[in-house]
Amino acid sequence: MTQPVVFLARATRTDIGARLVALAAVCLLFMLDAALVNADVAPARAKDPAYGRVLYNYHQGEALKALTLLEVARERGRIRGHGAYPELVEGGLMLSYGMPREARDLFTRLLEETKATDTQPDINESSAGERGADSGVTLAPGIRSQAWFYLGKVFYLEGDYPQAHENFQKVDALVLEESNSELYAEWLYLRARLAMLSDSDNGSYASSHESPRENPRENPSMNASGETLVEHLRAQLKHSGLWAHYLSYNIAMAEVSAGDAEKAQQSLRELISGMEGETPTGDRGSEYRALLDKSRLSLARLYLRESRFDDALRLLGAMPLDGVFSDTALYDYAVAAAEQGQLQRALDALEALSQRTLFLSWREQVPYARGYVLEQLNQPRKALNAFAQASEHYESRGRELIAARQSLTEESLMARLSFLRNNDDIATDAYGRLRVMPSDFGISDVLATEPFQQALSELNELYQVQALLIQREGQLGTFETMLETRRVQRERRSREARFELEQQKADEWVEQKNSFRVEIEAALAAEDVGFFMTTKQKELKARLERVAATLAQLRDGSLGNDKSAERQRDKYARMKAYFDWTLANDYGVNRWAAQKQLRELNAEMQQFENQRAAIEALMAGDEKHNELAGRLIRKGEDIQSLKAQVREAIAQARSILVGRLDKALEQQGRDLRRYLVASRHAQARLADRLFRAGQSTEAANE
Amino acid sequence: MTDSLKTLAAALLAALMLLTGAALAAEPDAANDSRAVAERVEDLKKKVIRLNRDLFILEEDLLFPASTQFAVFLSVDAGEFLKLDAVKLKVNGEIVASHLYTERQVTALERGGMQRLYMGNLKTGTHEVTVFVEGMGPDNRAYKQAATLAFDKGTETAALEIRIQDRSSNYQPVVSIVEWE
Repeated sequence: MTQPVVFLARATRTDIGARLVALAAVCLLFMLDAALVNADVAPARAKDPAYGRVLYNYHQGEALKALTLLEVARERGRIRGHGAYPELVEGGLMLSYGMPREARDLFTRLLEETKATDTQPDINESSAGERGADSGVTLAPGIRSQAWFYLGKVFYLEGDYPQAHENFQKVDALVLEESNSELYAEWLYLRARLAMLSDSDNGSYASSHESPRENPRENPSMNASGETLVEHLRAQLKHSGLWAHYLSYNIAMAEVSAGDAEKAQQSLRELISGMEGETPTGDRGSEYRALLDKSRLSLARLYLRESRFDDALRLLGAMPLDGVFSDTALYDYAVAAAEQGQLQRALDALEALSQRTLFLSWREQVPYARGYVLEQLNQPRKALNAFAQASEHYESRGRELIAARQSLTEESLMARLSFLRNNDDIATDAYGRLRVMPSDFGISDVLATEPFQQALSELNELYQVQALLIQREGQLGTFETMLETRRVQRERRSREARFELEQQKADEWVEQKNSFRVEIEAALAAEDVGFFMTTKQKELKARLERVAATLAQLRDGSLGNDKSAERQRDKYARMKAYFDWTLANDYGVNRWAAQKQLRELNAEMQQFENQRAAIEALMAGDEKHNELAGRLIRKGEDIQSLKAQVREAIAQARSILVGRLDKALEQQGRDLRRYLVASRHAQARLADRLFRAGQSTEAANE
Repeated sequence: MTDSLKTLAAALLAALMLLTGAALAAEPDAANDSRAVAERVEDLKKKVIRLNRDLFILEEDLLFPASTQFAVFLSVDAGEFLKLDAVKLKVNGEIVASHLYTERQVTALERGGMQRLYMGNLKTGTHEVTVFVEGMGPDNRAYKQAATLAFDKGTETAALEIRIQDRSSNYQPVVSIVEWE
């Protein structure tokens, strides 16, 4: 039954409502999808993993996750190597996630940026969606025209007609016709609708100022021949099937509104005859039949208004009994038959209607009408019974309504609805409406209205946001546990590090280094050659000292040869002199080596000191921990604030929803009371008539 | 007689028109209410997305510090010679991730999506990553292929990509692991 919804949206003059923006969302997603696929022959390889992840979720319909990942990527720096595609994808995701205003702003900005590239001749599908260094976004003409069309449609569905007109004007007609003929037909249709609305509102947005690149066939100069823009667009739509029929129907309805019933009848007759001569193909057959039935019904009502009951009866009699408008047609048929004096036919139609189990509030008039026709058939007893039944029915229904209104809460409302579920979520149709059936058919009328559907859908979305926030709150709780665990582990590691530092006796090492430095400085000041001796030199010095001591103990001639001890002493003196010379010669080198070692030691010690200081600073406090803890606290506050806002919004949405149902029930109650009063009057009238007839019979018998 | 029915029909029509009129009169208020709620819902959604982003980043900062962070992505530039079924990932000989793919996920990968198969922490130094890919190959035959990469992990975030590509030269899929700079 989704087709009649489509039909109703197109074939009535009333505002369709913002919820239908979802339709454009779906279409735009397809369009973007096509753009992505068209961008390269093979699947486009993500040049940035962040974008790849976004696409992975995007193609699975995970809009919230993909939008989150895009935000994360933006926070960490732009996605590289994909030009404007991430933004195009983001816009599509926003529409899909029910953020049409944000998406509209984004697309408007992107498309505005393409203006500069409009005259570039070498743009083709393969370079679609690129963002040049300075030149903004480059979109292929076909995609750009489709984007303008969908953006215009979003505005149209929101009821912002001037904006819709402005965006539709930016569509390149030839390009759109070539790239997507179905969209082109819809574009013509929507422009015609805008022109009609403009005529009725004296608005200016439909006063065509065609773009220079527009199809020459649409040149405003053609209007000079006396053809209005609507007629001109209608002529172009002639062979585009349903769109042309929708436009014809709407033109006929506009003629009715303008009080030109004759012209409207003619228009509807032409439409019906044209449609009857066609064979609908494809998946729009039911939509086609619904429009045909609606046209017949509208024409029949016009005939009824002019008391052309024969024509009305013929037209209504041809309508199928299983169509979308079959019940309405049946009732209108009963009225026409009664007016024709064919009361039995009228009664049969009403009997058939009263057998229908599905409750529709307009059908509440059937019990009364049944009694009335029986009365006209001169069956007063049956009529009295019928009116009595009607009164009982209205009374009982009235009591039900009062009880329903008194106990009307969101819970009781939800209990009257039966939601179709897809896993844990409530299933939605292509328009974003919840797939719901009334358990209590008394609310089927109000449930079918766009504002109620929208309010229901918004309430559901708010509950989803609320559930998500509760989930995030739980997640935040686990983060706190992680952070606490991290802190405990850190403290343990700090204790271990402190113990290690103590084991290293760092202070002793520092003391030794300082003492060594003082000694070197003192030796330098005193030019203490011995201090800077190498190990080998120190060994030689020790040996020389041992030799000197030995020689000191020798007496001259104690070695046998009286010259031998002296020779040894001379030899020692030469060795000592050489040694002293070597020391003096090496002093500079040795001193430099010692100083170098001291410098290296200083550097090492400095590094050690720094590390120790860093470790001690880390042990003393944890900035990272504090920063993370701060973020956790802030996010916790954000969640609480959001939860409060969601609660408030839920209360508002709930009150709107319940208020709408209450108003609808109130109206139903008023209608029922009217039917009840009429039934009771009829009962009294008939009872009186029967009583009088009885009295007359008795008098005659007497 | 028919006049009464006409009257009734007229009354009903009038009632319907009144109902429609009332509905139309109430329409601006209802539309304003709806618009207000719709805008509020949209604003809340925007805030929720930002909150999600912050929590996402916070989680990564908490669990995977940049100095040790290690991520493995998987992409499919194929579909003709391999219908992906399952993937198993080993890091230094230990299985760290395995995944069975749904048709929807495979389609998302084939359309350019990239799955983050694994996210973890690794010390600096040399590590070995091995991936086992299973699926249906040409002629609906079960297909299994593996690839290994030894790589050096520095002090920056490390990211690898497992690429499954069609190779038309031998009508076989090829699995490779590449490092993202």
